[in-house]
Amino acid sequence: MTSPILPSALTTLISSFTRETSPSSNPSPTHKPTQHQTLSANPQTTALTLQVLHNLQHQQLWTSLQIHELHSGPSAAAADTTDQTQKTHLISGIPPHRLYTHPDEQFYLLERGLREEDLELERMFVLPTVQGQTWSLRRLAGVFDALPEGQDTEGLEGEEGEERAGNVGMENENSNSGSGSSKADNLKEYYEYRKQARMTKEWGGKRMLLAMVDRQMGGDSTVVYYVVQDGAVKPRQN
Amino acid sequence: MDSDPLLPVPISYIAGSYFLFSIDAVTYLRREHHICGVLSGTLPQIPQQNVFLGLPLKLMPEEARLLVEKGVACIVDEVKAQKEGMRALREADRQKYLRELESQGAHAMRLQTSRKEQQREEALRKVEAKKAAAAAAAAKKTTANVGSGEEQPASAHPDDAADEQNNQNQTSRRASTTSNSTTSVIAAPYGTTMGITPATSHPPLPYAPSAAQRLPAPAVPASYPLFARLHADGYYLSPGLRFGCQYLAYPGDPLRFHSHFLVVAADWDEELDLMAVVAGGRLGTGVKKGFLIGGAEQVDDADSVRTFSVEWAGM
Repeated sequence: MTSPILPSALTTLISSFTRETSPSSNPSPTHKPTQHQTLSANPQTTALTLQVLHNLQHQQLWTSLQIHELHSGPSAAAADTTDQTQKTHLISGIPPHRLYTHPDEQFYLLERGLREEDLELERMFVLPTVQGQTWSLRRLAGVFDALPEGQDTEGLEGEEGEERAGNVGMENENSNSGSGSSKADNLKEYYEYRKQARMTKEWGGKRMLLAMVDRQMGGDSTVVYYVVQDGAVKPRQN
Repeated sequence: MDSDPLLPVPISYIAGSYFLFSIDAVTYLRREHHICGVLSGTLPQIPQQNVFLGLPLKLMPEEARLLVEKGVACIVDEVKAQKEGMRALREADRQKYLRELESQGAHAMRLQTSRKEQQREEALRKVEAKKAAAAAAAAKKTTANVGSGEEQPASAHPDDAADEQNNQNQTSRRASTTSNSTTSVIAAPYGTTMGITPATSHPPLPYAPSAAQRLPAPAVPASYPLFARLHADGYYLSPGLRFGCQYLAYPGDPLRFHSHFLVVAADWDEELDLMAVVAGGRLGTGVKKGFLIGGAEQVDDADSVRTFSVEWAGM
């Protein structure tokens, strides 16, 4: 199940179709074709990764999706000597709305009268897995160790910047209509504090989504998503 | 209250389980060392009781091990200690212990009777107050009626008042008879004692076990490093079978907080079934908890434990 499976005919069709008619809703359309070329051209990309990617793109409406190949750390390599061919892929993208807010972060936002919609959307990492695949704590730890600190990737920095700039522009428009100057200050304060909180891991450490595809037992190609965090992070009270 | 027990606290090892019999030890360990255990004692008459259990407190092997490693407790082979202790007990000690029990029983009896006395006086005072209030109200009514000069109700009133008076007399008489009877009942057991059943056996037997009676630190499951790590992080841990996991982790005393995590331990290279992770994540989210999976990178090293919390992403 974990060996790299070539994309199925359907997958190839979908990806080629979406490449031709790339939706204009994407904030950075220039990036898109290159991504998809890499996606479909790279034979190392497994069908599983593509399936999750498509689910994210077409069902969950994520944008700026990218596939990352994981360079397994020394600890993971030591364990997986038997299946060196096995590569872990990560997908990253920007969800259409905020997916996870730490309870303390939520409290902080409420205190300052900020709503989750006011915040810029953040790039999240997704780990594609399939039901029946076996994982170990070592492998999971390896994936977490490979994740960039503070959820920011160097390679994605430019794009992240664009995203931020776009959002800030929107906020300014909003603030012109209402009494939002204090809100902008609050937001600035929040971003400052968040930087600090990331250092101290006050609002949780690294996090990613675990996507699991149901392919066994009459698999209906459902993909389920779970937030997995490094360390004991207190649960949300929703 | 002298609530701090002498250290190390003896933990009784009986038939494969670890028990605490002293309430002082139980409260001390809960307060100072975040060890809650599970109360397991039932009333002798109701052995199938499953709520409001009392002493003894049953400890998980992990809890017992942790306490031993901290140097707070020691494990005692209770059967051996009891046998040897009883054999070593001399007749004079036995008599002294019996006298001690008797005096404790008498003390308990005195406390109980004095409390009953207090309650009785309280009740009588209430009756008295009610009577006075009723009398005052009746007096007011009659004077008011007389003042207004209404004939018929006024004529009816004295009877009422008389009835009331009668009633009051009766009730007071009843009260006095009952009080008499209770005092006579109470008076009888004065001097007699209540039967005292101490939870611990260390007034007659020695508190600290001899070296021969001590057992080595308890054997613990492979999840112990995770347990120790979470405990060191300030979590209160309790057995998690009720929630379908290994441990429940509370951020504070379980009486004050809901638990945060359903904890499951795994070995570092143990194969994880992803379905179990998803099931745990879903179950945890359903009860407003996180699903925490973790293990030690180096065997038996609580410092190398890594944990991952899982929650449903809601999409």
